[in-house]
Amino acid sequence: MGTVRLETEVLVVGGGAAGLRAALAAAEAGCRVLLLNKGPVARSGITLTAAGGMQAPLHPEDSCELFLADTLRCGYEIADKSLAWTLATEAAGEVREMERYGVKFVRDERGELALGRFPGQSQPRNIFVKGGGVGLAAALHAACKRQGNIRILDDFFVTGLLQAAPPDARTVAGVMGINLRSGEQTMIRARSVVLATGGCQQLWAVNDCPSDAVGDGLIHAYRAGAELVDMEMVLFYPSVIVWPPSLKGAFVHYEFLAEAILDGNVYDKDGQAVLPKPLPVRDQAMLLMHRAIEQGRSGEHGGLYWYVGDSAKGIDVVRKKLDLAQYNYLKAHGVDPATDKIEVAPGAHYLMGGISIDSNGETGIAGLFATPECAGNVDGANRLAGSGIAATQVFGARAGRAASRWASGNALLELDATSLAEETERIRCRLSSAGSATNRATAADLPLLRRRLQETVQLYAGVSRNQAGLDRLREEVGQVRLALQGKQVADRKSFNQALMDLLQLETLCEVAELVVGSALLREESRGHHYRSDFPQTRERWLCHTSVVRDGEKARFAAKPL
Amino acid sequence: MEQASGKIHIKAYRFDPANPDQAGFQSYTVPTAEPLSVMALMAEIHALDETFACRTSTCFKGQCGSCLVRVNGRDALGCVTMVQPGETVTLEPHSKYRVVRDLVVDFSQPQEG
Repeated sequence: MGTVRLETEVLVVGGGAAGLRAALAAAEAGCRVLLLNKGPVARSGITLTAAGGMQAPLHPEDSCELFLADTLRCGYEIADKSLAWTLATEAAGEVREMERYGVKFVRDERGELALGRFPGQSQPRNIFVKGGGVGLAAALHAACKRQGNIRILDDFFVTGLLQAAPPDARTVAGVMGINLRSGEQTMIRARSVVLATGGCQQLWAVNDCPSDAVGDGLIHAYRAGAELVDMEMVLFYPSVIVWPPSLKGAFVHYEFLAEAILDGNVYDKDGQAVLPKPLPVRDQAMLLMHRAIEQGRSGEHGGLYWYVGDSAKGIDVVRKKLDLAQYNYLKAHGVDPATDKIEVAPGAHYLMGGISIDSNGETGIAGLFATPECAGNVDGANRLAGSGIAATQVFGARAGRAASRWASGNALLELDATSLAEETERIRCRLSSAGSATNRATAADLPLLRRRLQETVQLYAGVSRNQAGLDRLREEVGQVRLALQGKQVADRKSFNQALMDLLQLETLCEVAELVVGSALLREESRGHHYRSDFPQTRERWLCHTSVVRDGEKARFAAKPL
Repeated sequence: MEQASGKIHIKAYRFDPANPDQAGFQSYTVPTAEPLSVMALMAEIHALDETFACRTSTCFKGQCGSCLVRVNGRDALGCVTMVQPGETVTLEPHSKYRVVRDLVVDFSQPQEG
């Protein structure tokens, strides 16, 4: 592994909706931008899985104040108010920016943006990106390619941040990573870095995200000394498909079960409806489903049955509503969503917590910026439908602009030799040359360990948590980490997927420890964080949890709103 | 023959630019009682043999094209191409793009011609 050197002004890590928006903002402010993505942009990442709903207060009777009030109420009052207000006031403006970049929205007969109303919205506030998350990523990707100042590197896996040499210690001066095409360990100096790496939903055995969602950026920021907030706040989407195996990870809309839409329900194995009408917000829906599953009312594969086949709306209405790529995908797998019962369970969908930021994406570490989904907490203990995409644009743009301001006022810094040597060695020690391996990971090791981690997290830090379970989980995570210690994979130049598997599993373990510690600290139930040993919401926990690295230990604390 | 129906047999193209002369097909068997998409199948092969490279990201909608691959001689979306237990399938890189390794292609680099 040789070390290659690159330089840029603004470096963006992650090529989903947030990273692409940040790159556009920084480039339009006049900076040279390098965007790194561990897969191909617009063909990987969490954005692609988005159905395409985006909240913006465009209805004549809606307002920024109502948007904020809905966010705070449905987030159980622990959203960062200044972030939530920024989202409410700038989402509509970002819709116009998105159109300028070529993003298309669904329009009604009069040519106006079609507005839908999802649970928790006091006015219809959801507009819809044509082509969903794939359409969004493709349009922003094309806009980046038209921008002369943006260079994109696909298949570039960032392994860590690099610190500046004294006297600028605690300033981020670049990143280290692996060019997966060539296998070269690559050091990139940058004046500022924006993390836009998404969530860590792969930590849970049931999730609706692609394999990429391991929380890399969370751990890069954490290792660099940044504060993470509310890491226990993971949104569990009520209806993630658990069977058949080839459809695991896809989801069906629980929102479509509403009376006004398809008026279906989620049923237990005996055909009893599980959800009340009007449909509750996501956290309440997923808890009702979880309780039904706990009571032994689940089907053969541990799930409940999402069903719209007996809708009073009639089969034609159902078929028309479900004529979406997401549902045609199910048909290709032999499942007809209009008539079949689909086995679903609550699964990890979105990380509301994350790297603590202010409204400009500043992380408190000089030169380091971050944007949701890897940054938070914009939403609190629950997120309304449509806030995810809105946040990528509002905060992606702000982080990109702030990073460009920083880059304009600060020079490239020399890298700290220790930080550089440590990060280089951390990766090199995972590679064995043929024959020299002492603790070589065999084919079965990593998938088994990953599965074990995911299943334990699902069991003890899933929908229902308690102290004994979380303690047990902490031990399990420790054992997985122990099993990974000293593990090596073969040193292959081109597309070393096994090395990625190993490094990503290590990251997942580190994230798991932060989730466990935060979930243990918050001794109450609020939104998607349900503690069976503390089932009530408590006034004293009207605050964030926070975690900061203190040497090799994680320091957890309550943090006032 | 009953046992064979609980398995999918794969002939997968292997290519490493470090050893281009050794390019060729390798046989794998994935045990499964249920039909699998080619996408899921590729992930299963990678779990059996960590040196086998494929893309694993997906949009769950058959839209993004992360899984573009050649199945039994035809270019296809791996995530919506189903294989039944008992079947044998040949997997090659998608014909339009330059191969990086095994079934991983470079989407920014269409093949010449």
